[in-house]
Amino acid sequence: MANITYIESSGQTTTISLNDGWSLMQGATANGIDGIVGECGGSCACATCHCYVDEARLGELPAPSAGELDMLENVAAERRPNSRLACQIKATAALEGLIVHLPEMQE
Amino acid sequence: MFSFDPYSPAVDADPFPYYQQLRDEQPCFWSPEAQMWILSRYSDIVSAGQDWQTYSSASGNLMTELPGRAGATLGSSDPPKHDRLRGLIQHAFMKRNLLALEEPIRAVAQEVFGALKGSRQFDFKEVSSQFTVKVLMAALGLPMGAEAIVDEQTVRDNAVLMVQSDARTRAKGPEHIAAYNWMQDYAAKVIAMRRAAPRNDLISNFALAEVDGDRLDDREVLLTTTTLIMAGVESLGGFMMMFAYNLATFDEARRAVVAKPELLPDAIEESLRFNTSAQRFRRRLMKDVELHGQTMKQGDFVCLAYGSGNRDERQYPNPDAYDITRKPRGHLGFGGGVHACLGTAIARLAVKIAFDEFHKVVPDYKRVADQLAWMPSSTFRSPLVLELKVQ
Repeated sequence: MANITYIESSGQTTTISLNDGWSLMQGATANGIDGIVGECGGSCACATCHCYVDEARLGELPAPSAGELDMLENVAAERRPNSRLACQIKATAALEGLIVHLPEMQE
Repeated sequence: MFSFDPYSPAVDADPFPYYQQLRDEQPCFWSPEAQMWILSRYSDIVSAGQDWQTYSSASGNLMTELPGRAGATLGSSDPPKHDRLRGLIQHAFMKRNLLALEEPIRAVAQEVFGALKGSRQFDFKEVSSQFTVKVLMAALGLPMGAEAIVDEQTVRDNAVLMVQSDARTRAKGPEHIAAYNWMQDYAAKVIAMRRAAPRNDLISNFALAEVDGDRLDDREVLLTTTTLIMAGVESLGGFMMMFAYNLATFDEARRAVVAKPELLPDAIEESLRFNTSAQRFRRRLMKDVELHGQTMKQGDFVCLAYGSGNRDERQYPNPDAYDITRKPRGHLGFGGGVHACLGTAIARLAVKIAFDEFHKVVPDYKRVADQLAWMPSSTFRSPLVLELKVQ
């Protein structure tokens, strides 16, 4: 389990306790966080679960795969150095307390 | 004694009472009839869908697998091979790359549904199958018109037959295998045509694709193309039948979407949750797993009952109500995780356009029969015939 905090562009802040192995995208869509769409269901094929990961902890995450980097070129909002796709980040105890900011738009 | 037999006609007709009992009483259930474990709760299915290292697809993902197919298609392979195959085709299925198909899809819808003008009663399958095959032919680049090598209905009939199974033998019957072989032969001819004279279409690109200098082998190209045709035709057709079934059954929802077509996307999402055609898929365990007091052994097959997870009251309040205002985010109507359906965007687009055009011609309708004949399939669920009466 890991508590993950999502901060939407409106400032709305929600903390969710995620089961190990669940992606940050699934945690958001299963718990009513509107700032993540996740249209493709988690197969890294739509770029609508774009998030900005707390920069201080970016290095703790496994590096993005080639498929994720490719798909990050398609995000609707500004792509930044800490841009990731939430469907590719899986919860583990090591991510406890991670904060992600969500962009204004996903499509 | 409770049993859950995905080959029984009773489960084809109405799996939902069984699912309820599974979720409440035996969320990790061994089905002797299916020879596999059944996972029925939303949370367990999401977890399993994420964990492809444990819940492998490489031994096949259809509940009743077709011979020689496992390991060569997207749905029946694990990363990294899966990602390699998927990387080749997924761009074609992204929403922004489908814009060019919107107009041709609408033209097909106007032609097919326009023919219903003046009808008093019809089988929705007749029109939805025509629409589905034409859309898939356009989307994948199957030969149509003057270059067509078979008629559209034959493609459709074989796609539908190959996903079925025999209720008595709990296996694919000779007719199902014959349909599968027919589809492979058809795919092989199309691949040969496109290799000889490539065009800018999905199958041409796929047949000639190289990844890091590594060309796909012929079996991968053939079986993935076969699967794209099967999945496209059967899944899109099956889902349209279920959507029409819901709208014909729930008067309030139908009137709402006919009055306001902009509500169609919400109604489509709720249908994907409520009773999507893709009910159950299969995985195989790569190691022992303890769940709900049971030990599932390495090598055991596991059914992910998406249709049950979508009715799990632990995730969706009042799950047995068809409520088009629900906006059921995170539903499992397209599966989830690395194997989530490749065709989500084109399915949503095509169904929205189809029903928008259908309702312009037939704005009010109801089901003729109370009891329907359901397709015999351990994986998919849709009625074989859906007679609708124009009101």
